[in-house]
Amino acid sequence: MTAPLLDVEALSIEFQTPSRKVRPVDGVDFAIGRNQTLGLVGESGSGKTMSSLGLLRLVPRPGRIVGGRIGFDGQDLLALSEPEMAALRGRRMAMVFQNPAYSLNPLLTIGRQLGEIVAWHERLGRADAEARVADLLGLVGIADPGARLRQFPHELSGGMKQRVCIARALLCDPWLILADEPTTNLDVTIQAQILDLLRSLKERLHTAMLLVTHDMGVVARMADRITVMYAGRVCETADARTIFRAPLHPYTIALLESVPRADRAYDRGRRETLPVIGGRLPDMTHPPAGCRFHPRCPEAIAECSRVLPLATPVAPGHVVSCIRRGSASIPVAA
Amino acid sequence: MGILRFILRRLMFAVVLIVGVSAIIFFLVNAIGNPVAMLAASQPNATEDSVAELTRYYHLDQPAWLRYLLWLWNLARLDFGSSITYNQPVAQMLAIWGFETLKIQIPAILLALGLAILIATIASRRQGSRLDFGVMSTALLGQSLPAFLMGVLLILVFAYWLGIFPSYGAYSTRTLLLHSSLADGLWHMVLPVAMLTFFNTATLTLLLRANMVEVLRHDYIMAARASGLPERRIIFGHALRNAIIPVLTYLGILFGLMLATAPVTETVFTWPGLGFLYINAIQQLDYPVIMGESVVIAAMLVLATLATDIAYVLIDPRIRLD
Ligand SMILES: Nc1ncnc2c1ncn2[C@@H]1O[C@H](COP(=O)(O)OP(=O)(O)OP(=O)(O)O)[C@@H](O)[C@H]1O
Ligand code: SF4
Ligand SMILES: [Mg+2]
Repeated sequence: MTAPLLDVEALSIEFQTPSRKVRPVDGVDFAIGRNQTLGLVGESGSGKTMSSLGLLRLVPRPGRIVGGRIGFDGQDLLALSEPEMAALRGRRMAMVFQNPAYSLNPLLTIGRQLGEIVAWHERLGRADAEARVADLLGLVGIADPGARLRQFPHELSGGMKQRVCIARALLCDPWLILADEPTTNLDVTIQAQILDLLRSLKERLHTAMLLVTHDMGVVARMADRITVMYAGRVCETADARTIFRAPLHPYTIALLESVPRADRAYDRGRRETLPVIGGRLPDMTHPPAGCRFHPRCPEAIAECSRVLPLATPVAPGHVVSCIRRGSASIPVAA
Repeated sequence: MGILRFILRRLMFAVVLIVGVSAIIFFLVNAIGNPVAMLAASQPNATEDSVAELTRYYHLDQPAWLRYLLWLWNLARLDFGSSITYNQPVAQMLAIWGFETLKIQIPAILLALGLAILIATIASRRQGSRLDFGVMSTALLGQSLPAFLMGVLLILVFAYWLGIFPSYGAYSTRTLLLHSSLADGLWHMVLPVAMLTFFNTATLTLLLRANMVEVLRHDYIMAARASGLPERRIIFGHALRNAIIPVLTYLGILFGLMLATAPVTETVFTWPGLGFLYINAIQQLDYPVIMGESVVIAAMLVLATLATDIAYVLIDPRIRLD
């Protein structure tokens, strides 16, 4: 087996303020092979966006990466200098953000703000850079790219903006695209179009993708492998097929039961609570002791609040962290 | 053609504003007293004949409304009349004294803008640090200090104690006789410009830093970082551009009101500018000067708001002139 393109080990991100300490990402592992799509799933606030920003080393202050390793194409990103890291951003690893309405600079034309990126990374002149931008706008299905170059973000529809954002991520042929809920803020019909676009691009360009979403329906259509997160920790990682056919972790099972049909767009009203299990994500300042899911877990036993389950392989390519599925665990201080 | 119509409409508004403002001021000044009588009272050897002649010359024997209409008619022909106390054409006085005012006000605004951009950028990037706190406290303190106090402090320290800079005037009497030299003019400008710059910088920095902090939180800044653009370019090309938009209004006010705020500085530094002239003219009821300067102040305000609106349109594509 060749080494994966991205190999994240025990990544931890901490927000330390004088009064409190929060770990929205706590010892997270996942890996993405070349040309592979990993779906990163979890409720709102489970640390998906923080994990993606962590990969780019762009965790907003006062947050910072406090531990772990980010292997990318054989090098540890956490060991790179800031200029080396900056040279990699947008060129080798690019990101599509959650809300297209806010992720384009309102004052610059599309041609200008996308052209600036290519020009910078590839040392191109303005005309060449804009030609490249026009090519990519065409590739993401935008009609009449030449005219779009001179338009400002507010002149585009939401779906069009997200296409522009996807084009921006693809400008320098990255090896890995981080797509953070690329469809959450779009109309249902547009969501389907954007997902189709992402899938066809991935096949044509052979780019690996981290697809962040809280929508099981989306990962069902897109992902090769799936990592389920809860309150900053990984519950389960497996092939998409395994996750849907034979999920092991109680949280994965609950997530799947909360989606009536895998191909239906997730109902936004369900973002906060899972109807099947009830309750909500714990307050991250004081996460529950032991397994963080135990206050909501239908299978919880007394021991669940006394030990922290560790991600443990249960089958080739299948990792689970639940003591009732045989995972290893460490005792927590009382 | 939208822009031409917009400008035309603003200019029409300016005419209405100037007529309105000038009428109010004219009748107020008129109600206070008679400038020639005041002049006569201050000069014991004025004869009755000369007083009567002056009264006729300035049409002070005519009813007020007729004098106002006459003044307005002359203004329409760009004739501002002549000063009663200085016996000079008002237009010429406005140009000469106005130059002295602009000489300290414009550099103070531009200098402040540059300083504010520099300070606010550094402070906002180290938000919450001791440096940020220090900058903000100084700016807040500076903004709340009475304007003349700062001027008096500057004079005390740099003119009286250290004796580096002159405490009053725009030129030394000596160099005035030898035709003022450039260096002498600049030397006199230092303290008044410093005082104005200090205040403008304080306010602009507070505004700009708040906007920068806000803008730096936006997704498009994170997206620019995630695209690998260098920090310098993100700050100056993306963040600052967005952060400066709300500041344009304040810059417009600074430019528009610089004549109206001039009296404080020019009194503290005995500076021969329009602010100084205005105060004098009011004391002497020299209504041609008062009126002429009021017209210029109103026109400046209109021009400044017009320029502000055009700047908004040029910088922000989401804004259109209606
Ligand atoms: N400034 C901050 N101070 C403290 N904690 C923070 C801060 N910013 C984020 N967090 C933590 O990060 C968590 C949010 O993580 P993240 O944004 O990655 O969630 P997400 O899974 O992407 O959710 P969503 O679906 O809403 O996008 C919050 O639960 C919070 O605890
Ligand atoms: S460890 Fe316990 S609480 Fe956690 S998921 Fe497994 S059974 Fe539920
Ligand atoms: Mg998120």
